[in-house]
Amino acid sequence: MFCDLFLYRVSSLQKMRAGTEEAESSGYQRVVLKNASPHHYLKVRLVLEDESARVSAVDLKTFITSCLRSLFGEVGAALNVDVLKYDEETLTALLRVPSRGLVKLWSSLTLQGFYQNRACAFRVLQVSPFLLALTGNSRDLQLD
Amino acid sequence: VKMCADLSRTQRNLLVCERSSFLDEKNRVSSQVEQLRFNYKVSVLLPECGSAPSHLESILNSFSSFYLIKKLPLYELLDKDFLQSAVYQACTVCVCVCVCSGHLVFSLDKDTFETLGLEGRPSRSNRTSSRYGISYGSDSGLLQALTSRLKLQMDFLISHHPAAWSTPPCGRVTPTTSWSGSAPWTPPSAGEPRYRSRALRGHDRESLFFCVYSENSSSDFLSTLTCLEPEATVSRAVSVSACGLLLPQDLQHLVEELRCHLQQAQTNSWASVTVHGFTDSPVSWDDDERDVLTGGHDLYNLLMFPDHTYRLHLAAGAQNTCPP
Repeated sequence: MFCDLFLYRVSSLQKMRAGTEEAESSGYQRVVLKNASPHHYLKVRLVLEDESARVSAVDLKTFITSCLRSLFGEVGAALNVDVLKYDEETLTALLRVPSRGLVKLWSSLTLQGFYQNRACAFRVLQVSPFLLALTGNSRDLQLD
Repeated sequence: VKMCADLSRTQRNLLVCERSSFLDEKNRVSSQVEQLRFNYKVSVLLPECGSAPSHLESILNSFSSFYLIKKLPLYELLDKDFLQSAVYQACTVCVCVCVCSGHLVFSLDKDTFETLGLEGRPSRSNRTSSRYGISYGSDSGLLQALTSRLKLQMDFLISHHPAAWSTPPCGRVTPTTSWSGSAPWTPPSAGEPRYRSRALRGHDRESLFFCVYSENSSSDFLSTLTCLEPEATVSRAVSVSACGLLLPQDLQHLVEELRCHLQQAQTNSWASVTVHGFTDSPVSWDDDERDVLTGGHDLYNLLMFPDHTYRLHLAAGAQNTCPP
């Protein structure tokens, strides 16, 4: 589903396009970045009691904001959550949130039990500071 | 009074960035590839590529098959003949046990750990789960514990066929490949998909994030993901991925072939290889412990250029040790 979404870190896109201009890069360089990611990414699925219900991407975003508001008030609702990708068939979404808002978002989603007065639950499938990590999940491996 | 934890804190994460050249003798691509043993998925992205190079398909099809053994009692895995014929020569993985260089590595919850009554040590990452390594052959009492106290049964993936032993059904599986872009895969919408490279935020002065995705940008309400300069539009791209128990040597072969492809393609293009480890494998880079329960996503991305230079990015989860 998310197969067309990739994320890479490169030194510079222009250098990358030029390709060969980096003669100096023949040396070996290693940099370790600790907790450097400004965002975290979540793959979540909305499970509804009424399986036939349709939820559009806009509905989902509104619902997520209301989840944040109900637990953390206006401060929570002001949290900048992005719906990067959404599949209406499976109700699976890829969310981006600033790293410092991750715990707030995660707890708001987990504690939400109702969507339009019907039972619902958010399943948090994957969480990572690297968007690329969400393009593969070995728990989805079907071998039968 | 400090009653609640700091909500703005997140778990530790690591990103290791390496840049070098394949021609540099100090380059560590092959050793890094070797050190992540239990790989689940590899994805290749070739921009500005109208159709998939024919040999790429054959390389992916030549990836080693692996075998699925369902509900294998763990004590049968320790059978001497089975160990000799299959396990020692293979990569074996299941959700909480794996075999690396002659060691069985367990990741168990507290109850199972205590029932087995074996020596182990608490996991660094999670106090409620315990993990311990046992060398089979040492007088650890493992076999006795597994036959008398707790008959653990698990599904195993194994990279070699256990010839000497075939009691439970053992299914042969080939890694599955899937294509997207302008390759054998047909896009659902009419017309050729357009991909845009978007530079996103970077952490250090030089680095930039960029992502490639098909042009179905969301409205501002849904997403504030914006493009940073520089930005390039790629008119076409081929993306292929393979899933299964992937061996490091197969991945090495793939990297070598892609290097050759870049040389022959005569373009200023690049190639990207992304490899995901098994999320639930108890070991991470170089057989170090990983945090099974707290999203240990081990992956690396290798970006290769026609002039033999490369960028390698290795990511590790919250409690995992730094990739070597």
